[in-house]
Amino acid sequence: MTRSLGFWGVAFLLPILHFLLHVGLGLGAWAPDLLTVAVLVIAREVRSGVAAGTGFGLGLLADAFSVLSFGANALALTVVGILGARSRDLFVGESVLFLTFYLVLGVWLRWVIRWLASGGRLGEGAARVLLMEAPVAAFYSAAVGTVILLMTGAWRREPVR
Amino acid sequence: MPHFEPDINDSGGRRDLVLALVFVALSVLLMILPSVTQQQLSLAMRSTVLAPFLRLQETVQQARIRSGSVLVLQAQLDSALAVLHSQSTLEEENERLRTLLELRARGSATFVSATAIRPGTQGSESMFLLDVGEADGVEVNAPVVVADGLVGVVREVGPRSALAMDWTHPDFRVSAMTVGGAVFGIVEPRRGIFREEDRLMLNGVPYHTSVQPGVPIVTSGQGSVYPRGILVGTIDSLAETEAGWRRSYWLEPAVRPGSATHVLVITGGVTPPADSLQTLWLPRERLPDDTTVAVEDEGPPPVEDEEDSPAPGIDLVPPPPEDDAGASNVGPGPEDLEIEADPGDGVIDALPEIAPGDTVIDLSPESLDPEP
Repeated sequence: MTRSLGFWGVAFLLPILHFLLHVGLGLGAWAPDLLTVAVLVIAREVRSGVAAGTGFGLGLLADAFSVLSFGANALALTVVGILGARSRDLFVGESVLFLTFYLVLGVWLRWVIRWLASGGRLGEGAARVLLMEAPVAAFYSAAVGTVILLMTGAWRREPVR
Repeated sequence: MPHFEPDINDSGGRRDLVLALVFVALSVLLMILPSVTQQQLSLAMRSTVLAPFLRLQETVQQARIRSGSVLVLQAQLDSALAVLHSQSTLEEENERLRTLLELRARGSATFVSATAIRPGTQGSESMFLLDVGEADGVEVNAPVVVADGLVGVVREVGPRSALAMDWTHPDFRVSAMTVGGAVFGIVEPRRGIFREEDRLMLNGVPYHTSVQPGVPIVTSGQGSVYPRGILVGTIDSLAETEAGWRRSYWLEPAVRPGSATHVLVITGGVTPPADSLQTLWLPRERLPDDTTVAVEDEGPPPVEDEEDSPAPGIDLVPPPPEDDAGASNVGPGPEDLEIEADPGDGVIDALPEIAPGDTVIDLSPESLDPEP
């Protein structure tokens, strides 16, 4: 592990902030998807099994409010966690541009998987969700996530000794 | 340039892969669990890890409500008190008369007030939490209403909380009718491009019945979930017609779910008197007398003038020929209703001539529910 303690602190606080904004303050769609951001940043630092477990646990919490598609969030975040962990083998990057792109792709993927898992079908609804709602949510969440990670210094690596 | 860490050896990689697959399998398992188990799991999480967030939202919600106009609240309280006072004497009188007639007591709906809390997480867009539960008499499938009409229905109940879905949920359905029951249909939601554009549609209206815009649509009481008479919406426009056998209408919803922060849950089972809730949403003078209109059953109903319509805003148009339409799916419209009364049974001495639009009270022994 080369990340600072601050990184893990921020990674731990992101889900709390997510539920605080979504549930506590009831902001709904106005609040960014910091749960996926948390899974994505943790997944870059841990093995795929741990990343899957993190995604599963946080997804289960998100599923506590969805009755008719229970498990869809857990599945989506588990898969996102696994892919996030495996992405280290494919992409190496620490730049802000990489981080933003990584978060955008991850949040969009989470939306797609969740939509498919909750019985989404191709058609007019699919275009709306996949090409309009999901990209907007992805860019918004990625922007907020990037700002939080940069402002707290969590994305900065410890110097290699 | 940061360094790259190949941190996975072969055995560790395999173990990780297995662990990841186990979690994927667990996620899939969650989705196929029986709904009772799913409910228990979600309830467990809501009452433990997520409880602080829910309590915070409840506090915020209460603060918002308290910050509302005191004058408006005072006016509402005065109105409620006035109704309460007038109804207490009526209730007593009703009870006395029913005792005199040896009729058994009617089951009546009771209302439990609750605060509606929106979870705001992905996948919970049409759901809301209520701060009342089993301890308050709330049951699964209990209707949720506000002063304007129907909001939704309870799906899960915990000891002190409940999870409900509003009418924008894709699985929401309610059997509905025009006030008085001349036209029946099923109301279901239709998603708009944005959530604010979600609308309701009244489906399955018989083709020969035309409903005018502005006609109120209420729950029919069929299906044993919603009591009869809760306002669902008003007819907006004709949505579609299907090959001469049915029509669908867009409804202007009575309630926008997002605006419902304080709601009422109907408890005590859904067996109130047939017309008991109707007057809560629509004043008596607006109720048309179309429940007992007698129309000749022989042959297709004639095209009627507006004055002769069974209810304001409802037109009967001739059904298409049998050859074109096949078997037409005609609901229990006015032409199907017959009035049964035996002049010799001592209840009605003389059966007067009944004209369309007249109100007729059914006094047959079956309808009076005599004491067993």
